[in-house]
Amino acid sequence: MLLQTDNLTVGYDGQAVIEAVCLHIRKGEIVTLIGANGSGKSTILKTIAGTLEKISGRILFMEKNLEDFSRKEKAEKFSVMFTEKVHTELMSCQEVVETGRYPYTDYFGRLSQTDRQAVEEAIQLVDIEDFADKDFSQISDGQRQRVLLAKAICQQPEILILDEPTSYLDIHHKIRFLEILRKLVAEKQMAVLISMHELDFAEKISDYTVAVKDGKVVHYGKPDTIFTAENICDLFSIPKDLYHQYLGKMTK
Amino acid sequence: MVMVFTGNLITGSADIPLGEILFGKAYNETIYTILLRIRLPRVLGACILGGALALSGYLLQTFFHNPIAGPFILGISSGAKLIVAVVMIVSANMLFSVSGLFMIVSAFFGSMVTLVLVLIISRKVRNTALLVVVGVMIGYICSAVTEFMVTFADDSDIVNLRNWSMGSFSGMTMENVGVMSAVVFLCLVMTFLLAKPISVYQLGESYAFHLGVNVKALRVWLIVLSGMFSACVTAFAGPVSFVGIAVPHIIRAICRTTKPLVLIPACFMGGSIFCMVCDMIARTVFSPTELSISTVTAIFGSPVVIAVMLRKKKGQF
Repeated sequence: MLLQTDNLTVGYDGQAVIEAVCLHIRKGEIVTLIGANGSGKSTILKTIAGTLEKISGRILFMEKNLEDFSRKEKAEKFSVMFTEKVHTELMSCQEVVETGRYPYTDYFGRLSQTDRQAVEEAIQLVDIEDFADKDFSQISDGQRQRVLLAKAICQQPEILILDEPTSYLDIHHKIRFLEILRKLVAEKQMAVLISMHELDFAEKISDYTVAVKDGKVVHYGKPDTIFTAENICDLFSIPKDLYHQYLGKMTK
Repeated sequence: MVMVFTGNLITGSADIPLGEILFGKAYNETIYTILLRIRLPRVLGACILGGALALSGYLLQTFFHNPIAGPFILGISSGAKLIVAVVMIVSANMLFSVSGLFMIVSAFFGSMVTLVLVLIISRKVRNTALLVVVGVMIGYICSAVTEFMVTFADDSDIVNLRNWSMGSFSGMTMENVGVMSAVVFLCLVMTFLLAKPISVYQLGESYAFHLGVNVKALRVWLIVLSGMFSACVTAFAGPVSFVGIAVPHIIRAICRTTKPLVLIPACFMGGSIFCMVCDMIARTVFSPTELSISTVTAIFGSPVVIAVMLRKKKGQF
C-alpha cells in the first residue's frame, strides 16, 4: 500500500469538515474523489498534501507516518496541483516546469544533467514542446494546466495529487489531460489521487472512487458499484426525474 | 544560461559608470583631502545604500507579491526615521554621541515596528492599492511626529537633523561607510542564500510549500533582511524615496527575467547607479545649494511606478 488514511478527520481551524476518512491507494492506481461543491474533497486532498493540519487520525505513506518524512522527502514523493492560480512574470513554460526539480537541485537551484533530462521527458510526455518557450502568463488555461502537470511530473513523485484539474478545460483538453494521466499510471506506475466533477470521466478512469457527502465518505469502492443512478441522485441531491432527463445517457 | 549571461553583462556594464564617476571626481577636485574625506565616503555611501535600498524593495515586492511595494511607500523608512530621530535628539540632549551601529539598530527597530503594523493590516486587506494607501498614511504619521519633534528639539544639532530628515547622502564619513558596508555585505550574502527559495516563492506560497520550501521561515527572513537593508539606509541617509520601488522594475525590464540569482546582484548594481547619479544631480544642478536626494529620486522614480501600475491594469490580475 502506497498511501493509506486511517480514521482521518479533516477540517479548518479544528472544525471537522469530514470525519473518519479511510482510503488507500496503491502504485499504478487512480483514485477519484467525487461530491458536490463544498463537500470537502479539497479539504481531504489538502490535508494529505500537508497544506492543512489534520484534526485526528493517521496518514500512512509506505506504512510510515507521514509526519516522519522531512519537507524535502515529501516534496520528492508528492506532487500536487491545486486550483489556485499560479502567477508568473517573465517566465517561460519551460522555466515553470523546471521549478518541479526544486527538491533535487543544489543550493543555488542549478539544474544538473539528470534534472534537464527529467524536464525534457516531462515536456514530451504532456506534449507541450510547441509552446515551451512561450511566456507562461500568455498561454490558454488548457495549456497552462498541461504545463503545471509537466512540472508535477518532472518532480518524479510516487503520488500525484490533483484537485479538480480538468474543471476549466473544454472537452478536448479534458480528454487529453486524462489520457496523459492514464499513460503516467501505466508507464511510470505513479499513483494518482484526483478530485473531479466530471462523473462520466471519473467512472471511466478510476480504479477506486470515493464519494463524499455531508461530512462523511458515503461510498467507497470500484466505480461500477458507485456510479448508479440512485447513488448519483443521492450524492448530488438530484430528483430522479431530472436525473433521467439530463444525465440518463451518461451513466447507468 | 543565456539569461544569466546577459544578466552578468548588465551587471558588468554597471561597473563602468561607477569608474567614470570616481575618475571624474579625481580630475575636478583639486584638494585631495576634500576628495578623500567628503566626496569619496559620499559616493561610496550612495553606492552601498542605493544597492541596499533597491534590494530592500525587491525583497518586499517578493514578500507581498505586490509590484508596488517598497520601503518608502509602505512607511517603513518613515518608521525607522522616527526612531532614529528620537535617538538622535535624546543623545544630543544628553551630550553623548551615538555610533553608526547603534543607529542601524534603532532604525531597524523602527522599521520592524512599522513593518509588523503594515503586516497586520495587510492580513485584513488583500487589496494592493489599499495596502499602499495604508503604508503611505503610516509614513505620513511617522513623518509628522518626526517633524514635530525636530521643530521642538531646539539644539545646535538641529541643522544636521533637519537635513537628514529630508534624506541626504551628505555628511558621510569613512567610519560610517565601514559600518554600513559590513552590515550590507552580510545581508547581501544572506539574500543570495535565499535565491533558490525565492525563485519558487514568487509563484505562490502553496506552490513553494509543496516543493519543500519552509515558507514560514522564508517569510521571516524576507522581512528581517528587507528591514535591515532599509534600516541601514535610513540610519545614514534618512528616508530616500522611490529607489526601492522603482529600481527592481527597471532591472526586471532590462534583464527580462525574474530569476533571483540574476536579479539580486542586478538590483544592487542598479540601485547603486541610480543613487549615485541622483546624488550627483542633487549636488550639482543648483550648486552650491543642495537638493534633497528624495527630490531627485522621486522625479525619476515615480514615473516608473505609474508605468508599472498602468501596465498591471492592462494585464491580468
